[in-house]
Amino acid sequence: MADWTSYYRNEDEEEEQEDGEQSAGEERLTGRDSLVFLVDASKEMFIKGEDGAPSNFDMTMQVVRTVYTSKIISSHRDLIALVFYGTEHSKNPNDTFKHVYVYHDLDEPGAKRVQDVDALRGEKGAKLAAETLGCGPSSLGDALWCCANLYSDIKLRLSHKRLMIFTCREQPHGGDNVKDRQARTKASDLKETGVVIDLIHLMKPGGFDVSLFFRDIVSPPEDESELGLQLEPCEKLDDLQKRVRAKEQKKRATARINLCLGDGLNVAVGLYATAVTARKPPPVKLYRESNEAVRSKTRTFHTQTGSLLLPSEIKKAQTYGKKQIEMEKDEVDFIKKFDDPGLVLMGFKPMEKLKLHHHIKPSVFLYPEEGEIKGSACLFSALLKKCSEKNVYALCRCIARRNNPPRFVALVPQNEEVDDAKVQINPPGFNVIYLPYADDVRTLDLPRCTSASQEQVDKMKDIVTKLRFKYKSDAFENPVIQKHYRNLEALALDMMAPEEVEDLIMPKVEQIDRRLGSLVDEFKNLVYPANYNPESKPAAKRKTADSGGGAEKKPKVEVSMDQIKVHVQNGTLGKLTVPVLKEACKQFGVRTTGTKKQELIDALMDQLSS
Amino acid sequence: MAKSALILCMDVGFNMSNSGPGEESPFDQAKRVIQKFVQRQVFAETKDELALVLFGTDSTKNPLDNDDQYQNITVHRNLMVPDFKLLEEIENQIHPESQQADCIFDIALNVCVLVENTTIHKLDRRNIVLLTDLNSPVSSDNLDVIIENLKQADITLQFFLPFPAEEGDGEAPGDQDRRGPGHPGTGKGLSEEQKEGLDMVKHIMLTLDEEEGLEQIYTFSAIEQLCMFKRIERRPMAWPCQLTIGSALSIRIVGYKAVTEEKLKKSWKTVDAQTNQKDDVKRETVYCLDDDNETEVQKEDIIQGFRYGSDIVPFSKVDQEQMKYTHDGKCFAVLGFTKQSSVQRHRFMGTQVIKIFPGKDDEHAAVALSALIQALHELQMVAIVRYAYDRRSNPQVGAAFPCIKQDHECLMYVQLPFMEDLRHFTFPSLENNSKFTPSDEQLSAVDSLIDSMMLVEEDEDGKQKDIFKVHDIPNPAFQRLFQCLHHRAVNPGTPLPAMESWLKATLECPEVIRERCQSALGEIKNKFTLTQVEKKKKLKTSAQIFGKDSDEPEAKKAKEDEADEEFNLADIAEGSVTSVGSVDPARDFRTLIRQKTLTFEEVCKQLTHRIEQLLGNKSTDYYMKSITCVEAFREQSVKLGNADLYNSYLQLLKSSIPTQGLESFWELLVQDGVTLISEDEVEGSTVTRNEARQFLVTERIEEAAAHPAEDPGDVDDLVRIVLL
Repeated sequence: MADWTSYYRNEDEEEEQEDGEQSAGEERLTGRDSLVFLVDASKEMFIKGEDGAPSNFDMTMQVVRTVYTSKIISSHRDLIALVFYGTEHSKNPNDTFKHVYVYHDLDEPGAKRVQDVDALRGEKGAKLAAETLGCGPSSLGDALWCCANLYSDIKLRLSHKRLMIFTCREQPHGGDNVKDRQARTKASDLKETGVVIDLIHLMKPGGFDVSLFFRDIVSPPEDESELGLQLEPCEKLDDLQKRVRAKEQKKRATARINLCLGDGLNVAVGLYATAVTARKPPPVKLYRESNEAVRSKTRTFHTQTGSLLLPSEIKKAQTYGKKQIEMEKDEVDFIKKFDDPGLVLMGFKPMEKLKLHHHIKPSVFLYPEEGEIKGSACLFSALLKKCSEKNVYALCRCIARRNNPPRFVALVPQNEEVDDAKVQINPPGFNVIYLPYADDVRTLDLPRCTSASQEQVDKMKDIVTKLRFKYKSDAFENPVIQKHYRNLEALALDMMAPEEVEDLIMPKVEQIDRRLGSLVDEFKNLVYPANYNPESKPAAKRKTADSGGGAEKKPKVEVSMDQIKVHVQNGTLGKLTVPVLKEACKQFGVRTTGTKKQELIDALMDQLSS
Repeated sequence: MAKSALILCMDVGFNMSNSGPGEESPFDQAKRVIQKFVQRQVFAETKDELALVLFGTDSTKNPLDNDDQYQNITVHRNLMVPDFKLLEEIENQIHPESQQADCIFDIALNVCVLVENTTIHKLDRRNIVLLTDLNSPVSSDNLDVIIENLKQADITLQFFLPFPAEEGDGEAPGDQDRRGPGHPGTGKGLSEEQKEGLDMVKHIMLTLDEEEGLEQIYTFSAIEQLCMFKRIERRPMAWPCQLTIGSALSIRIVGYKAVTEEKLKKSWKTVDAQTNQKDDVKRETVYCLDDDNETEVQKEDIIQGFRYGSDIVPFSKVDQEQMKYTHDGKCFAVLGFTKQSSVQRHRFMGTQVIKIFPGKDDEHAAVALSALIQALHELQMVAIVRYAYDRRSNPQVGAAFPCIKQDHECLMYVQLPFMEDLRHFTFPSLENNSKFTPSDEQLSAVDSLIDSMMLVEEDEDGKQKDIFKVHDIPNPAFQRLFQCLHHRAVNPGTPLPAMESWLKATLECPEVIRERCQSALGEIKNKFTLTQVEKKKKLKTSAQIFGKDSDEPEAKKAKEDEADEEFNLADIAEGSVTSVGSVDPARDFRTLIRQKTLTFEEVCKQLTHRIEQLLGNKSTDYYMKSITCVEAFREQSVKLGNADLYNSYLQLLKSSIPTQGLESFWELLVQDGVTLISEDEVEGSTVTRNEARQFLVTERIEEAAAHPAEDPGDVDDLVRIVLL
């Protein structure tokens, strides 16, 4: 999951490459992630909720679709499969298993698959499901076996294997001991091969008792807690989305480093990018004839001799103060290197010292790596607890990866938070907030400000209160990216027109106006004089200049020859405008063919500085 | 265009070379300050102009030198954009000289004013920086004239002295030098001339600016404070726009980037190593099909497409342009208001903070915006806004926080995430895990560490003092790069220098803190056990894996080396291995695991099957072979971090000893110390180190048989594996 931006970064933006780069490398080393949705297709799944609430099956398809589309955007190389059990019809390789329907085998999600899942949604979907799948007896054991075969048929190396069972039946075999045992055996076989089995249990009347059967099927939770089993069944689509999303995204550390408290006292930690700006992916280059992707090869060669240049035959250079300065490639790296990667503790500061405006890039998340240094989690946990209690943050110097220059960061404690359905909202750990250096803080000329009166402030308070809403960080979709993918979707599926995208970050003007009513005018009367129009340009100065017409705009080209000479001497010709330079060329009788500023300057310099 | 001019006016008189033993002379210090400053200007590539005036020189060269009064003053360089030539001149041509002309200090100022006025450009800022130790006698006669001149020309003044302006507290006002005392010269006490000079400097500064004048007096040692030369910086671009609430209410605003990660404008260019010419190197990109011949494709035959999951959709630039998201351009529109607490700090996106002020010279906008800022402040709310810089750029969603300071009010805009940006990772709870829960003792150790390392302290007056302000530290990456570039330009052919010590020091934990936290750190070391988990990759020799005694016979070690070598040979032949054969099962096993064509479980199954076969023969030769198999099994299990299969197998093996009559084989196993894999070696193993040791030591077979298997399910499975 953490890898997709890496493909889309510009190589020159070395700094920006930071997050993601590593994880992409990791992916190459470890293989692909995979996810199998194993969905119960029994009658119970199709029962609609009260008040026409969508059926469990409908909700599940909605979630599956969301996962498909989000994978397409964020990690299209992951493999996904969709398998139904408890069906009447069967469809699987060699049709070995009865009542198991492999709707999609393990593969990268694409436009077609999204459409397929769409077809199973809603009223029509239920009908289609009844036709193609049908309801029959279930054997979870067979279904799991079939899934195991899906995994073993994949020739690619898989790094993370997850299987999610969606069901609302706590006893799929109605107490048939033989079938239960068979399912348990198959589940443990799967788990042995490294598959993580999750149960996404859905609402059923009378509650869902996990302990009756599924406790032995699912993988034990990562921590000691019984959290995974105590979960209430999902009733709402929102909860379901959240729970699936929490499981579906495989977390990968962008870096594993040590947090040094001083004197060689190290705690191993992992850095996780929890928010990375999603960008439109860059285009893929295709061969016109066949629409197949082409590879690019870049080579460096000598302009004169045409021979390829070895790395040892090139140097790096920068020009400053009219001088080109050269360095060897490894010297460039040497300059960048300050220390080995790691976090070094400087000390602690009260939370109020962390200024809101000290923000230069999105924060990352810090969590202990017990696998690197044993005991890390305990000390980390103590540090987290105490920082949170004392309301302080830790100030550290951070070098996230090799040859990166240091940055100072604030480690802000974050306690674990779970919602009513026991789904984790905020994980326990530190948020790493990057702090600006002196160079990053700009000095502004503060304009003189006039303060508002209490009456004016109170009126505005009324306005603010009228427009209150509950902000959620995942409430807004990026219209640019959504539009792009809808376009692609339309093209890929030969749709007539792309699906409309609702621009969620557009103010709902009418609604706002209606809610505010007369408040706006009341406020305006309080702060603006009658003839004031904030939409207009501030002063009339501009207007007169504009009405003067183009003729006047032409600057008077009056720079004396002496002044030009001074400029040449000081190397400050660049300050003059192009018309002035052209005039100067004429005056000095310098012939130029160029019209660009630099060409004019060069010509003048050549002539006059000799 | 906003441009400024600055004159560096440096005292090079002989007094400047006086210094105590082991101390750097004021001259050298001043020279370094100048170098740093010019370096900064050169690398900042400002269009600002700079002149260098030296006083106390042996010769005289200045516009007024026909007058007797203006001797020993050299205008080294007139106002112009600084370049490397100037840096080289400073490096090589400026030396301490022997003059100490009377009263030249104040006269030098006069010259500066004159030089400042020679420029033909319109300047909006003028500044003079004087570096002197004030040891040359001064006359106060001209002072009023000078001050008047400065005032009239609107020239600001800064002083750099070798000692702090305020005696007693050891620090100049506004000087946040956190390295405390130790300014050269402070200890010695000042000469009469210096005292007199200092009084005059103070007088001048206070006359020019009553309130903050003294803050413009710095010490030489504060090189890192060169960021104090702030006033030279380019002004941020104004972004005029309208803040809108609905369709009817709009307020004229102007935005400025207030905080953003400053990047260098220049990047490294590739040049030919021989000629150092950029033009001699050409990079070319060619495209080819992904077939065996790597058939090259012409650029004209390439079209663009996009990935949609597994599909690649051809999508021409024209189509893309036509179908893409468009919007109305520049915008700062309120979507609604929400509680400040619901916008979490760690959810801030983007790379900047924009400060929003009322439109320029618009009093009414100022009042309206002020009402909004104060309303938000009083209600503890923020505005959620749609922000678009212009038509071409992508719109964002963000929060506008109220910011009320003593001298100004503004909104601060920060970008917030889109749904697509977020990754909802779930992490195991730290609190519910008894293994990770710190004890009260451990907590109190951490408590005292935090107390001993507080960087913000209250002084006697109850005022808070921050001894480590990150936003006062210049970006070390820039400083280091410039240092190296400067070095290479001025001293070509020599290796790059080490990092400057002051820079290194700024990046370290302050000395006070480091000393103060020693005991608390020691306590933590005692209370917490931290053990480096040995990296699986690093385990190469079997000796390490098995934790065998180091005093084992050399011969055995040699044998193991051999085994390693054999393993390498196996590399070559590995292509043909498809299952664990009977000739060299251990080697086949290793190879198969590396190949990963079969699952680990499958390979283990094959291996245990072979072991059972071998053991069935009940002969020492076969026992030896079996042991190498078990060892290989163990080694690979540790490597892959999967201890369960191996551990259950070994336990099963032990329990089957009486029935199968394998006592002598077991003895061999004990001799070689091949035991269970403990949790120290593989995380997730349910066996502790002690248990692993015990497993061999007790060696009572009845006991072992009575030893309850951990989980009946496991044994069942294992039997199945073994028997299959």
